[in-house]
Parts: sequence; C-alpha cells; structure tokens
Amino acid sequence: MWGLTVDTQKDAKPSKQQPMTFIYRKCLTENEIISRDPIRCRECQYRIMYRKRTKTGGF
Amino acid sequence: MDPDGRWRNLPSGPTLKHLTDPLYGIPQEQQKPALQELTRAHVESFNYAVREGLSHAVQAIPPFEFAFKDERISLTIVDAVISPPTVPKGSICKDLSIYPAECRGRRSTYRGKLTADISWSVNGIPKGIIKQFLGYVPIMVKSKLCNLYSLPPRALIEHHEEAEEMGGYFIINGIEKVIRMLIMPRRNFPIALTRPKWKTRGPGYTQYGVSMHCVRDEHSAVNMNLHYLENGTVMLNFIYRKELFFLPLGFALKALVSFSDYQIFQELIKGKEDDSFFRNSVSQMLRIVTEEGCSTQKQVLNYLGERFRVKLNLPDWYPDAQAAEFLFNQCICIHLKSNTEKFYVLCLMTRKLFALAKGECMEENPDSLVNQEVLTPGQLFLMFLKEKMEAWLVSIKIALDKKAQKTDVSINTDNLMKIFNLGTDLTKPFEYLLATGNLRSKTGLGFLQDSGLCVVADKLNFIRYLSHFRCVHRGADFAKMRTTTVRRLLPESWGFLCPVHTPDGEPCGLMNHLTATCEVVTQFAYTASVPALLCSLGVTPVDGALHRPYSECYPVLLDGVMVGWVDKELAPSIADSLRHFKVLREKRIPPWMEVALIPMTGKPSLYPGLFLFTTPCRLVRPVQNLELGREELIGTMEQIFMNIAIFEDEVFAGVTTHQELFPHSLLSVIANFIPFSDHNQSPRNMYQCQMGKQTMGFPLLTYRDRSDNKLYRLQTPQSPLVRPYMYDYYDMDNYPIGTNAIVAVISYTGYDMEDAMIVNKASWERGFAHGSVYKSEFIDLSEKIKQGDDSLVFGVKPGDPRIVQKLDNDGLPFIGAQLQYGDPYYSYLNLNTGESFVMYYKSKENCIVDNIKVCSNDTGSGKFKCICITMRVPRNPTIGDKFASRHGQKGILSRLWPAEDMPFTESGMVPDILFNPHGFPSRMTIGMLIESMAGKSAALHGLCHDATPFIFSEENSALEYFGEMLKAAGYNFYGTERLYSGISGVELEADIFIGVVYYQRLRHMVSDKFQVRTTGARDKVTNQPIGGRNVQGGIRFGEMERDALLAHGTSFLLHDRLFNCSDRSVAHVCVKCGSLLSPLLEKPPPSWSAMRNRKYNCTLCNRTDTIDTVSVPYVFRYFVAELAAMNIKVKLDVI
Repeated sequence: MWGLTVDTQKDAKPSKQQPMTFIYRKCLTENEIISRDPIRCRECQYRIMYRKRTKTGGF
Repeated sequence: MDPDGRWRNLPSGPTLKHLTDPLYGIPQEQQKPALQELTRAHVESFNYAVREGLSHAVQAIPPFEFAFKDERISLTIVDAVISPPTVPKGSICKDLSIYPAECRGRRSTYRGKLTADISWSVNGIPKGIIKQFLGYVPIMVKSKLCNLYSLPPRALIEHHEEAEEMGGYFIINGIEKVIRMLIMPRRNFPIALTRPKWKTRGPGYTQYGVSMHCVRDEHSAVNMNLHYLENGTVMLNFIYRKELFFLPLGFALKALVSFSDYQIFQELIKGKEDDSFFRNSVSQMLRIVTEEGCSTQKQVLNYLGERFRVKLNLPDWYPDAQAAEFLFNQCICIHLKSNTEKFYVLCLMTRKLFALAKGECMEENPDSLVNQEVLTPGQLFLMFLKEKMEAWLVSIKIALDKKAQKTDVSINTDNLMKIFNLGTDLTKPFEYLLATGNLRSKTGLGFLQDSGLCVVADKLNFIRYLSHFRCVHRGADFAKMRTTTVRRLLPESWGFLCPVHTPDGEPCGLMNHLTATCEVVTQFAYTASVPALLCSLGVTPVDGALHRPYSECYPVLLDGVMVGWVDKELAPSIADSLRHFKVLREKRIPPWMEVALIPMTGKPSLYPGLFLFTTPCRLVRPVQNLELGREELIGTMEQIFMNIAIFEDEVFAGVTTHQELFPHSLLSVIANFIPFSDHNQSPRNMYQCQMGKQTMGFPLLTYRDRSDNKLYRLQTPQSPLVRPYMYDYYDMDNYPIGTNAIVAVISYTGYDMEDAMIVNKASWERGFAHGSVYKSEFIDLSEKIKQGDDSLVFGVKPGDPRIVQKLDNDGLPFIGAQLQYGDPYYSYLNLNTGESFVMYYKSKENCIVDNIKVCSNDTGSGKFKCICITMRVPRNPTIGDKFASRHGQKGILSRLWPAEDMPFTESGMVPDILFNPHGFPSRMTIGMLIESMAGKSAALHGLCHDATPFIFSEENSALEYFGEMLKAAGYNFYGTERLYSGISGVELEADIFIGVVYYQRLRHMVSDKFQVRTTGARDKVTNQPIGGRNVQGGIRFGEMERDALLAHGTSFLLHDRLFNCSDRSVAHVCVKCGSLLSPLLEKPPPSWSAMRNRKYNCTLCNRTDTIDTVSVPYVFRYFVAELAAMNIKVKLDVI
C-alpha cells in the first residue's frame, strides 16, 4: 500500500516558499497540500492522511 | 436470541489445517458468531436502550410544569431520536457517515445526534411541537446506530476495522471505553434480609426487612424496603432524590386501593389465618391509619400529599391527592402499573416479612448470584440519558427565568426555540461519564457507587481485550469492606461465574468473569398472555376463590406481579409444563424465562412460591434438557432446584433432568484456553488467567489505523501445538499470544535459580519472542497558540542548521528514520512572524518513525496543524524480561546462553529454554508436564493435540496416551532424553525431561523499569534527591533498609547513604546561644572585595567569635526554620 505510487518528489521542488508535501489517504490517491490548505483527501474527502515514505532522508 | 445449536457444532478438536487453508486470510461472507457472542450483552442492551428503551424513557418522563407570569407552562418530551454518527452540516464530504476507525485515528468521539420533539402548552392548551437538538451522545460500536452494523468482514476491512470486529464499546477521544457490568440485586423480587444496622434506623426497628429493587421497562430503578418493628407493625422505606423516607405500611396500603379495612386485613393474613399475633399486628397497623383520621382512600391520599409535597417540587396547583399519587408512581413498586398490583405485591412482601421475623423462613443471601442480576451497559446509558433529559427540561425553566429578568419575554414558538438553545447540552455529561467512569447524578440512579463505571478496553493482547466484555464487578463499595463474605465463591454461581478467572489480591472475588456459555438476557418478552396461560394451567387469580386454605398454596409471581395462587400439589406439574413450553417455544413463552419453584419444606427454608422471570439483565446459561433432548436456558434461581449431571454416568433416571453441555462449561473463555487445566493445582490456573492478560501478543490487525498511546506487538507469534479446542472455536489463531519453545527441565548453569530461565542465544538471534512497542504521540499546534494566533503550521525554515537532513520540508521526520535522544523531532513555523521552532526527541530509548498521520477536524476544514507520530520501539528480549508458560509458571530471563554451550540431545537438538526443575514440586503444575510431552509428540507426528480439560482421567491417563505416542516416534515413554553437556561434551547422568511448551512473553520489561542514579535533580525544599523513574530520580533508602544497615553495624555505610549521599550541608551555628538561624553573613567592607573572606555574626549574641560550622542534613535546617515560624526555638549543644 505504501509504495504503489510513483515518487513524485520532483514535482514538489519548484514551489519554493510554500513547502509542499505529499500525503496519502488509504484510497491511494496522492494529495498535494500546501501548508495553508485544509487537510482533506481530494478524492474521498477523508479527514486523515498519511505521510508518504520517501527515499530521501538521512538514513 | 436463538440458543439452540450454538454449542452444537463445536470443533471436534483443534487443528492446524486452517492456517494452511488456501482460504485463510480471505474475508468470509459472514462474521463468526463465536466472537460476536462475547459482546452480545453489551451490544444488544445498547440496541434496546436507543430504540424501544428511549421511547419508553421519554414516555416515563413526567411533563415538566411550571408557572411563568401567571401562566402554567408545560413542557413534554414526546419523542427522541438518536441518529448514527455523521459529519456536521456544512462539511465537504462525499460519505457523510463517520466510521469508528476515524475516531480512533483522530482521537475524537464516536457520537450521534440526539434530537427531541418537545411539545409545549400554556394553561393546558397545546401550542405545538418543537424539534430540538439536545446534544451528541456516544454510540456503541457495532450497535444498530453504528455505521458498521451488520457489515460483512470485507466491508469492515474496507473501513479499517478488524474482520471479526465485535463492538460493544464506545470511543471517547479515541480511547475505547467499556461500561462495566455490575452486580445488582435481582429486580422485582422481594429479598428477605437481616441487617443489624437497621436497628439504628429508629426506635423499635429490628434487623428484619424485605427489600425489593423495583425496575421499570426503561430501567429506572428504585429500592424499596419493608422494616419489621418490634411492636409487630411494618414501616415502608423508600428513597427519593437520595433522601430516605419512612411510611407506615397501613397508609401505603390504604392509599393504593379503595378496599375496605376488612378486605385489606383478609388479604394480609392469607395463609396465616390462625396466627393471632399476626392478626393483631395487622389490625394494629390499620388502626394507626384510622387514628390519624383517615378512613377512606381519598383521605389517606390527601394526608400523604400534604406531608410529602414539600419534597416533591410539584407545581402549586396540584391538589394534595395528586401529589400523593405522584409519589406512589415514582417511588413505590414502580415496576407495576396499576395500584391494585402494587397492593398485592406489598401484601406478599408483608407476609414474607412476618414469616422472616417469626423464623418461619430463611433469610436470603444478597451476595449470592441467586438474588442478583447484572447492570448492562444499555441500562446505564438509558438511565443516564433519561435523567439528563429531565435535567434539560429544568434547565429550560432556569434559562427562561434568567432571560425574563433582563427583558420582557413573551412565550411564543420563536422565543421558546431560542430559550431551548440555552438549555444544558448533553454532550459534556455523557463524555464525562464514559471518559472518567464517574457518575454525576442528582438521583444516583439507584446505584451504590458513583465511580468506576467505565474502564478502558485495553488492547494489550486479544485475551485481555476480550475479558473486559466478560467481566462482572461486584461494585466498588465492596472493595473497602472488611468482611470476606461478598468475595466468597458460592456454589450457586456454578456455571455462571468462572471459579478460576478472578484476580488474587485486592479485587479477589469482587471481579469475576462470566463463563463461556453464560449469557445475559437482553430482550424484553411479551408477557401479557402468560397470566391467562397460568390460569388455564390451574392457577387461581389473586381475586379468585381458592378451594384449599392459603397455607397450602404457593403464591405465583411473574416479573414481580402477583398473578395468583396455586395448589401445593399442582405446582410442580405447572412448573414442568411451563418448562416444557419454554424449551419447545410454545404458547409464546420466551426461551429465557426462569421458572423457579421454591418448595415448601415444613422447615424454615427459603420463602416458598412459584417465581417466574422474563426480565432482562439476568444471567442465563444453556444446559441440555434430557427429557426433551434440547438446549434450555436456565437462570440462577432455578438452577439451585435442578439436578444437572455433568457426565453421562452421573445421570440417574427420575432424578437428573438436565446435563451440562460439556464438562468445562464452568470455565470462562480465558480459563478455557489453559491446556490440561484439570491437571494443575487451582491457584496456578488463576495465575495463568491473570498472566494471559499481561502477555505481549498480536492484539489487532490494523496497526496502521490506530493511534493508541502504546501498543505491543509480538513479532514472531505462533499457533500453539497443544491447545483446547475452544482456542479454535474462538479463532484465536488470528490473535496469537506466544511461541512454541523447546523446553528442557534441567538445572544447568546456576543462572536458573529461583524461577529464572535461560534462553538459547541462537534462538534469540533467530527472533524468539521478539517484540516491539508502538508509541503514538499527538501534536496539535492549535494547543500551542497564544492570543488567538492562528498561524502556526508545520514546516522548516530553509537552511535551518538545527535540522540538516533530519526533518523533511514539512517539518516532520522521515518515515522509517531512526530517532535518538536529542534528534530533531518536528519543527513548526509561525507564518506571521516567520519564526521557526524545533522540538527534539526527548526519550532515551531509540525508536523508528513508523507512520505519521495528518489529521483534520470534524468538518474537514482543519489546517496542517494536528499530526500523530507513531514510533516503533524495538523490544527484543533482554535479561530481566518476563516470560511465562500457560500454567502460571513465570520466570525472568537471566541469561542469553550461547548455543554452543547449551546442552544438546543425541539428535543434536538444542533447547530454546532451560527451565529449573525446582519449579515443579511445590507448584504441582502437572499440566505443564503433560503439555511438554504432548507438544513433543505433536511436533514429532505433525499433529495438533487437544488439551481440553476433563478428557483424561485416572483410567485413561494422559501420560499413557502421550507416552505411547512418544514411544511410537522412537522416543522415551516418559518424555526424557539423554543430554550432553554443552560445555564439556560429557553425557549428563540424569535423564532430562525435554519437550515443547508454548511460552508467552509478558509485558513487564526491564527497559520500562530500570532505575539508576548517580547525581541528579534534588528537591527544592529539602535538598534531598528526588524520586521517580522518569525524572532520573533515586530509589528511597527507607527505614527498613536503615534498620538492616544498623543491625549489621555498618555505620560508615549508613552515614554515607543517609547523609553524605543525601542532603549533607554545612551550616553556621552560634556556639553560645546554640542557634542555627542567628548567624548571618556580615556585609564585607569594600577593602575585602579582592579576598574571599567571609565573616559571620551571631545577631543574637552580637559576637563573631562564637560562630562555628557543623555538618547537618539540609532538611534539619529547614525544620529549624519551620519551628521558628511556630515560635519554637531550637538550641544546639555544640561541643
């Protein structure tokens, strides 16, 4: 379930000031959320999202 | 409720097959009934409460009438509905319903809306109905109001639930709460009691009384007592709004019916027509009433109404008689509808009371299950709901009065709707009740206790979780009692409460668990046809004429209603035919009816009568009816008059009528999981029931969706090779709690003394008993906001040196990252000021970030403010961790021993665990020896053995069976083997007993417990080292430890511990006046500024040469200062 989608890290880079994050819901849609956006899944409007596992990071 | 056949198709024996079944792990069409049964009492009682119960309760709430500006306003709740949990209006959402998983994940409350229709009238003219929202009430998971109701496993999994979710609990702020089942007195049954305490209730009172716990259909309860007075009269005692009231019985009887005094007299003396004392007493009671000038029913009602109305808070325009009737409706025999019924029941109680006082019948034991039932969660919920709705009506009046003080309010629909919104919300009280378990109530709901009503359904392992729903508590008040009578295990509770599954120590015998087969009646039955049926069977109605004298007849009671009288000879056959109808479901007799014929014996035994119960909340259990060949549900009261065989050979024709479904039906679900428990000494089984609940296991399958503070997980669980078939019946393979281990019973290295055990290091390296703890932490930035600033958001300042690659751009740690003490944990920004804050990981234990949930709010409009970080702490076994077999044999891991130094068998097998043989002789856990042999043979033959108790006996011995099996595999009959020392390679002289035992890892781990201190924080006031593990404190060196050192004469060590390592300080003292307080530091002259000279001066003696220094404990100086504050001088003799 965690790894089914393509790593879209590249798309995130362009926006500089507003950090973007990819957060997931279990309906497996990816959501791009800017820090002022409400937390809600685009597809199912579910109110809990999961942070995506990335390959970056110091470990 | 369909009891038939539930226990028919039990698995014939345990099997490992379904683990290898290709269908394993694929959701079934239907949930398994076995697990659902366990929480049924909870779920169904709640279902009743929110549907029929709620409408009953609404009807039972009397119209609230009050005067407002010379107008009589009346508010009545006509209807109330609770809706399933949905999102509030205005939220952006596809699916409006909320599911429990979201509430657990977001730590919110799973609740539904309560709306009521309130009709209002002015001066008796109805003005209309207003629909009003009263608040949110918590909804029980898997009840009819829950959105998961009747979903198949596949759909449950889609909603992030367990496939076999059983429900039965509430979710309050993300925590699962269970309403405890409490023992209550049996409803609507007069219990004869003797209480010496009653003598102090007033002059003439005796210890004799008859008590009745009256409960209505909507579960509101009132206790009522009849007291016997020395002069032969009777006092009726009841409680209204936590206040005690006493009323002479004559008044109550005359107020209830318009019978003549002679009729009342005749009714009371039924069965004792010749007893002149009794006749005198009865006429005396009636005379008292006449002496007060009350000869008719009307006069009595007026008389009572006049005296009681001050306490009743009724509107002024009610006449006295109506007030008295209100009192009778609310307090006396409230389970009965008509006053005539109340009259007959009061008469019966009076006769019982006289029989008790004259020693003609035995008192009943209120601690026995015979006279008890349980409080079901739905019952508490409904009672609380009813009371809070009544309180809401009162709050409306207060709100109206308040508003009227400020402005001129006219009563119309618009204004009233505004006022309604000012009423007290029900949300808070409900959440408070379930979150804390404390009952805040005006009436007390007729309970003895007001705290401890709810407990957290701990998901430590599945066994513990499950036992919360099977637990029955006697009540918090009994825990303080000195006497042990309430804790005693009585034979009456056979088959209903498990004799093994109770904790030892403080709550012993107070906290019991239902047996696996025991059920709680949750439904109401239609009983209107039963009296007619009884009459057709030969019962004479109460007002009918009997052919036999009353002394030779049994009174017949149905749910606390006096139905009539039945001939002594006829009664057994009536009871039999009722039982017949009950088992065969004929004549609309519910299968859960209890038919208890308490016979006349001619001796002072229990008060005779034919008592029929169909009420809910009773405990019932299925047994086999031998005559009809079907299962029958029997209750606690009828059981003591029945002959129930256990085994076939105990059946005696003409005597035995019933047989147990299986011999282990006396055990609880958890006690049923103990293998060969019939071979163990009984306390060992008790210990296992406790330890099973502390085991690290695999409590759930949805780790991702949970935000519990702490969850344990056993990484390498296994299905036990030896187990009772009940393990398969409850499908415990989904939630295993241990590992099969090769155990050699040997005293090998000396590291296995005193219950310590040695684990093979190679097994450990391969993952034996590996586990982890999931810790979740909620971080809500909205709680950190000051002055309404709404601009905190997770994030990092670009290029922050504190973070460097440790946190992602959103200010959160990477999933899978390892966190150490002092690592950046998360970071957030203030968008207005641009400030960034970094928080650091503050635990000393390393962990791995398992997942991070980002949570919104109810409406789905929450910003990036609330997250839940779940961390995984690896907890592989270390020295000091606790393990236990399933036989109450616990031990501490004392050493991880290298595999090459472990003893080995001829075949090269090396044990996983070395168990000290001294653990057996005194504990006599033969079950563990048998399990070891059975496990060994199971492993050798590829079997799974049945360890159900009571299948082996002296004739058919377990040793024989498993010994032969071992022999067939080429092993020693007794399960022993020759072992070789792993150190020298020499063959050991003794035969070593070696086999396979299922081991559990308990949650007590050194990592949570170790406490060390060298230096550290000290107390501000005393300057002594502080205590407490989480603040790096020390362990108290107390009086007893001091005594030990004193006795050893090790005074230097003592001085070191208690003085130098504690609060040693150097104080200045004036030798002359002996004061510790008077020496003060003199202000040094400026010329001294280069030097470090200090000069003290005694302010009392005004001298500097008398100052000396002494070493004293710092607390002593504090003590001297405190004494000085009380004007007490302390003088030190300094030599």
